Amino acid sequence: MWAYILRRLLYTPLIVFGVLLVTFVLFKLVPGNPARIIAGPGASESTIKEIEAQIGLDKPRWINVDGAREQGFGALFDSQFFRHMWDTPRFEFGDSVYKKKAVSEILYKGAGPSLKLTVPMFIALLATSISISLGITMLRGTVWDLLIVIACVIGMSIPFLAVILFGQDWFAGKLDWFPIRGYDTGFAGVRYYVLPVILGVFAGLGSDVRFYRTVMLDEAKADYIRTAYAKGVGTGRVLFRHLLKNAMIAVITRVVLAIPFLFLGSLLLERFFSIPGLGFLMVESISSRDYNVIAALTYIVALLFIFGQLMTDICYALVDPRISLK
Amino acid sequence: MARISTMACMLALAVSLAGCGEDYPDRDTNTRFVALHARVRHLDPAIVNDTTSASVAGNIFDRLYQYKYLVRPAELQPGIAAAMPEVSDDGLVYTIRLREDVFFHDDACFPDGKGRQVVAQDFVYSWKRIADVTNASPNYSFIEGRIKGFDEFRKYTHERSDAGEPIDYATPVAGLEALDDHTLQITLTAPWPSILYAIEHLPFTPMPREAVEHYGKRIINVAVGTGPYKLERWDQGSRIVLVRNENYRHDPYPSEGEPGDKEKGLLADAGKPMPFIDRVEFEIIEEDQPYWLTFDKGLIDSAGIPKDTFSNVVGAGQKLKPKWAKRGIELIIYDYPATEWLAFNMKDPVVGKNLALRQAISLAIDREDFIELFRNGRGTPAVGPTHPMISGGNDYLHSPYHRYDVEAAKAKLKEAEAFHGGPLPELAFTMGGTDTSARQYAEWVERSVEKIGLDVKIDLMDWPTQQEQVDNAALQFWRYGWHADYADPENYMFLYYSPNHAPGPNSTNYANPEFDKLFERFVTTPHGPQRTALHHQMEQLVVDDMPAVFTMYSIAYVLRHPWLENYKPHPIMWGTLKYQKVNVAKRWEMLTGKTLEE
Repeated sequence: MWAYILRRLLYTPLIVFGVLLVTFVLFKLVPGNPARIIAGPGASESTIKEIEAQIGLDKPRWINVDGAREQGFGALFDSQFFRHMWDTPRFEFGDSVYKKKAVSEILYKGAGPSLKLTVPMFIALLATSISISLGITMLRGTVWDLLIVIACVIGMSIPFLAVILFGQDWFAGKLDWFPIRGYDTGFAGVRYYVLPVILGVFAGLGSDVRFYRTVMLDEAKADYIRTAYAKGVGTGRVLFRHLLKNAMIAVITRVVLAIPFLFLGSLLLERFFSIPGLGFLMVESISSRDYNVIAALTYIVALLFIFGQLMTDICYALVDPRISLK
Repeated sequence: MARISTMACMLALAVSLAGCGEDYPDRDTNTRFVALHARVRHLDPAIVNDTTSASVAGNIFDRLYQYKYLVRPAELQPGIAAAMPEVSDDGLVYTIRLREDVFFHDDACFPDGKGRQVVAQDFVYSWKRIADVTNASPNYSFIEGRIKGFDEFRKYTHERSDAGEPIDYATPVAGLEALDDHTLQITLTAPWPSILYAIEHLPFTPMPREAVEHYGKRIINVAVGTGPYKLERWDQGSRIVLVRNENYRHDPYPSEGEPGDKEKGLLADAGKPMPFIDRVEFEIIEEDQPYWLTFDKGLIDSAGIPKDTFSNVVGAGQKLKPKWAKRGIELIIYDYPATEWLAFNMKDPVVGKNLALRQAISLAIDREDFIELFRNGRGTPAVGPTHPMISGGNDYLHSPYHRYDVEAAKAKLKEAEAFHGGPLPELAFTMGGTDTSARQYAEWVERSVEKIGLDVKIDLMDWPTQQEQVDNAALQFWRYGWHADYADPENYMFLYYSPNHAPGPNSTNYANPEFDKLFERFVTTPHGPQRTALHHQMEQLVVDDMPAVFTMYSIAYVLRHPWLENYKPHPIMWGTLKYQKVNVAKRWEMLTGKTLEE
């Protein structure tokens, strides 16, 4: 197993290189000049040019041939591309050209509020959907099973935005059960997270229950379940000791792949409930062509994703003795 | 049954964690609650150029001159300046005396943390920061080429920056001099009567050098000014709290207003020292629904009206519906100096050369319908670029093609086809936006123009992409608009001056030598009838040549709760909180049904 982990880790720089290259190429293909966005619509041409110089856009995109001619070979790499490929992997993200703040500071301040929203939401959704799915397994073929499947399909059909609009208007606006929106640090801030977490869980239940129900039902048909029942093992023990453990492969796959994206927060929930997280940051950075922020977010998510996949493989081996990592 | 009980318990737990909705924190204190519809980016005046940041920073930083709060049309008065400037006969030298009772906020950057007196050298230093290329200030355009020696100083900072050398702020600028601690002298390259409007802007506030040096790069997150409020707390992306500056000079509340202001109680506090409010809390609420719910619950004291809520709030005759009026909420309607138009690229071989085609498109646009559909009636049909609140009306314009007449448009289109030498090709209309409302807008333009027999292809793109294409003169016609930075027609007319062509502010690439000559005379002519006449001539030329189809002059609708007093939104001025007052007892009683003593 250790050789496998080492081999996977050795692949990582190559994957990271690919991610950084694709991010750079894609961003440079998209039209739109960040200097113009900073300068605003009434700015003169010279102001735009000065801002371009200050944010490094006056440098050649790929290689600096002119610089090399004038200042020697070393200047050849004084370009936007090489600066990106050298700085980003070392977590030197520079400043946000739009916000004029260090990208690391923006990420540090935004990650906390985002994770405070997405982690409880993720855990609550996972626990609720697996519990319901296990419950349905016991009720397979009954009218309850049918009703829950119908409810899941309806739940999946309702746009997340509609859930938020209705939930906020009804539970916070009309019933006054929750604060409309807000944010605070520490325990005082917990109250502001309750409604968005509930709405997030509600919106995710349809698809998650459908998925886990299918996984659980597949396992429920297996011979070992029938054998367990035949041996007189109780339902609870069958569900939690046998069925759930064997369904863990699918659960782990879904869960671990979702974890890196928790870092990015939830765009809609953060916007509607005024949570100062990272949910809107990616959208805002793309629309303002704030390349340093996009590069940082992409790089961090890529690393988390690579790490998450490695963890998935390790977990497979831990939960299923038939799998060995070679 | 057990499961149902468990679920009920969980819901009860959730509700108890949430604390059962709103409990009106701090609504029993002398705090003003304001909602911001976007996040504040930074508070360094040298680089602030977005309205959200300016609406906060305007209360922290004073300028030499400020608009009169209650007087319309907007008029300037001294702020930090002791009086209006002395101007030399040739209009080139402005000598400004400073007040001696202006102090910076107490801050750790000063010895003993005590804010020192503002001196003329602070202005010299702060304005140099705008020119310093290492600050990448978007505001340099305001003074570019205007003040003697400033462009040279900018060049110097560029050279030092390229060489990796520090910028020496002692480097003199010929046209900006501190004659003594309380006298600032500005020497212009050419007469510029609008200079006072320009320097009313936030970037021209004094910044203490001590703060810039003490905080370094963090200066964008702190705010050491001279205004009535100082920054207490900034939770990025969530909340900003300002508190009263105890060292503020306590200027008196104005006694001069418009007819009707006295009856509305806006002059009741005339002569009383300002500010009235102890604390201001800006809440960042980016979406319309929570913004509106927050106002509805009384958690913010004033608000605009979101588009989707408008018909529930405003009824026939643009009056507040009884449900809201009964609560004492007041609807305030005022002119907002923004003009919208459909811009033509005058370099385009089809639309740029064909005046009849542009006139036909203008005649095909039903401005009333547009305003009703897309702005809930919050606007008036435009006939020229300058908003009437800036020009004092637009009766001087002869604008026969800024009306809706499909038959006349069809006739004009025939002329356009004859000029083109055959059927016109499909036109490309571009919208800077990709959301539903942008699509609806573009489709509305498409339908309007297709009614007269023109084919139009819609191209939706995000704003940066559109802006790059505008800069490259690559578009044919597109939606655009302008919000006046200051109360002078120059701020509209410079959009048509040919040396400002794209990527400069003249995005239509309009070029008319006659207009250019008039503009060059206009910018150096002192305010008065001669200048007004030049403006009228220029505007008429733009309307006749039609580089744009002007669609709408904006009107703003704002609501205030009855406990917010002395509230009169200003269309241009930033920093009006010092004039406003909160009747705390009334607010508390209306929100909770209890008196403050209870």
